[in-house]
Amino acid sequence: MNLDMTTLLYCILGLPLIFSILAAPGFLNNTLLHWLNRITATAVFGCMWAMFSSFNANEALILQYFYVDALSMWMLMIITTLYFAFAWTSKAYLDRDKNARYGYLRRFTHLEGRFYALSHIFVWIMLLVVVVDNLGLMWVAIEATTLVSALLVAFKFTRTSLEATWKYVMVCTVGICLALLGTIIVYYLQLTDVGPENPLNWLYLVQNNGQLNHDIAKFAFCFLFVGYGTKVGLAPMHAWLPDAHSEAPALTSGLLSGSLCICAIYVLMRNIVILLPAIGIDFISGLCLAFGLFTIGAAVPFVVIQRDVKRMLAYSSMENFGLMVAGLGIFVPVAMEATLLHMFNHALVKYSLFYVAGTIMEEYGTKNMMRIHGMMSQVPKTALFWLLGIVGILGMPPMGVFFSKFYILYGFFSAEHPVMGIIALVLLAGMVIGILYHVMRMLGGVPHRKSSGELIGTLDSAVLYGLLIFSCVVSGGISQLPMFQNMLTSAAQIVLGGMPV
Amino acid sequence: MDYLVTILVLLVFLQTRIMDLRRAVYCLSAQSAIIALSCIAIGLGTGNIEHGLIPAVLTILVKVIFIPGAVLKIIGELKNEREVVSDINTNSSTVAAALFLVLGYAIVGRVMPDAGAKDVISASILMIMTGLSLMVLRKRAVMQIVGLITLENGIYLLGLLLTRGLPLVVELGVFLDVLIAVVVLVILTGRMRLSFMTTDTSIMKKLKG
Repeated sequence: MNLDMTTLLYCILGLPLIFSILAAPGFLNNTLLHWLNRITATAVFGCMWAMFSSFNANEALILQYFYVDALSMWMLMIITTLYFAFAWTSKAYLDRDKNARYGYLRRFTHLEGRFYALSHIFVWIMLLVVVVDNLGLMWVAIEATTLVSALLVAFKFTRTSLEATWKYVMVCTVGICLALLGTIIVYYLQLTDVGPENPLNWLYLVQNNGQLNHDIAKFAFCFLFVGYGTKVGLAPMHAWLPDAHSEAPALTSGLLSGSLCICAIYVLMRNIVILLPAIGIDFISGLCLAFGLFTIGAAVPFVVIQRDVKRMLAYSSMENFGLMVAGLGIFVPVAMEATLLHMFNHALVKYSLFYVAGTIMEEYGTKNMMRIHGMMSQVPKTALFWLLGIVGILGMPPMGVFFSKFYILYGFFSAEHPVMGIIALVLLAGMVIGILYHVMRMLGGVPHRKSSGELIGTLDSAVLYGLLIFSCVVSGGISQLPMFQNMLTSAAQIVLGGMPV
Repeated sequence: MDYLVTILVLLVFLQTRIMDLRRAVYCLSAQSAIIALSCIAIGLGTGNIEHGLIPAVLTILVKVIFIPGAVLKIIGELKNEREVVSDINTNSSTVAAALFLVLGYAIVGRVMPDAGAKDVISASILMIMTGLSLMVLRKRAVMQIVGLITLENGIYLLGLLLTRGLPLVVELGVFLDVLIAVVVLVILTGRMRLSFMTTDTSIMKKLKG
């Protein structure tokens, strides 16, 4: 059984790489390219599923450079689900970019191969982030995601996308360099307090984390928190986030928001597990709560005054990352599980929202929400998905995000942070008002502009439905789904310090 | 080692005064060469030559030859090759560097009073802070890249000193990342030249709010 797991893992890691090497030179014709893309992602999704269903949540798969436990498995599930959705929606998106009035692909034919190659490499590196066993390699992979996704953000090479990319690379690289400094200090700690064996190996460090020096561990954690926090998009290091999310092609925005930022949270979690006994819970918890709530607070006013539809979604992502980091800082099992569940829900719902936002931009030829009215009557299908997604991301009852947000807020009160919980509730209410104001204006009213017609086809609506329903079913019925429940419980336990034996 | 640190500090101060893009890149290349030499020096000091030699060779290949080469190539395509004279002139950035040096010694004295090589640690803090200030104060894209590599060199030097070098796999990964980062930044600078007709990053302020 162990051999099978290993093979599956190598399949998951091998296939996207092979595909991007084939796609990069651009000699595959388009039909072949689209189908290969779908087959690769579906195969990876299938392998992940085979692994997920037979994975024992209380054990870990240990290979030479890889370490897979329940937490990694949970992250793998999120990333591959998005990967699957990406592959099945990409053709529709790229075709639109070829045909529409201002499609940037209409003059080029070879760019599709490049886009696919970059996207698959991007997903591949994110998969690497969650399965490597070494803090240094995690850092290397996170930095590599910045660089690859930078090329995707700048894919259209318009003036604004160049500006966004420059800011993205500069801010994130500086942040990530600080995280490198933190990692180096952790290594220094290991050398002085534990010993030179298994350098920076996560499992080894966790087994020996009682011996680390308190002051230097705190010093290291500050750098790690600021460094990876920049990559998560925590305020005040968030300057890159709305720009990069709004200027990237819609599919890339979905991947950036849905999976990249939570990969950074994942690495932060791994580091916290190591440093927790040395630093003590109060410092870490305080830092996470303060920055998390501040991030939500910083996002609210910008949503209210926003005009650009994708920027609005980007600020909504910031709100959700803030909530995740705050949920991480509560340090009670129910909130930790809810945080991990929220990562999953947010990824699925936000991917579909970004996809729909990209479609709206094509349909109306503008990003400005003030110029879009009457979507219900002009483009009913898009309007339906837009409404469902927005209702989903705001955390209204039938949708998956409701459950995870509710449990996180419950965690605030059960862990005796009632004031924080009330602040979070007020800020979330502000978010709901801000977003609903814009969205209702877009959906209702009398149309002033001609739209280019309904652009959401059968295949993409099936994928969007799938994403929304999957998130609903998993979070609503988690107690009835032992496979997910076990994985989630053990993943939360790992973050709280109880590693698998 | 002492001579190396002295030269390094001098080079970093020189970096704050240079306005010509080409010379800034040469200065950066020299600075990376010093880092490579200190790799070897530290490797000799610990008796583990291979662990000092491989990073040194990689530093020479990546940071002394490839990165400056790539940046020089893009400079060759630019017309107006000087840093825009900014309000914050070079004098204040040199003064800032001096303050960073003092700050470095102060931090080392307080945090690790019994550390062996105080000079090297404070030199690396100087490099990190100066790299950051170059990225913030300079407006030309190329100067910001130079600042980024200076920052990276500083962190690398600190790591080298504290831990005698990271594990080899990680080290290789870090070099690969720096390499890709510069390739990406050079591509972006090239596109910036085509789109904006200049590489002055301060004109990019359309995205707000």
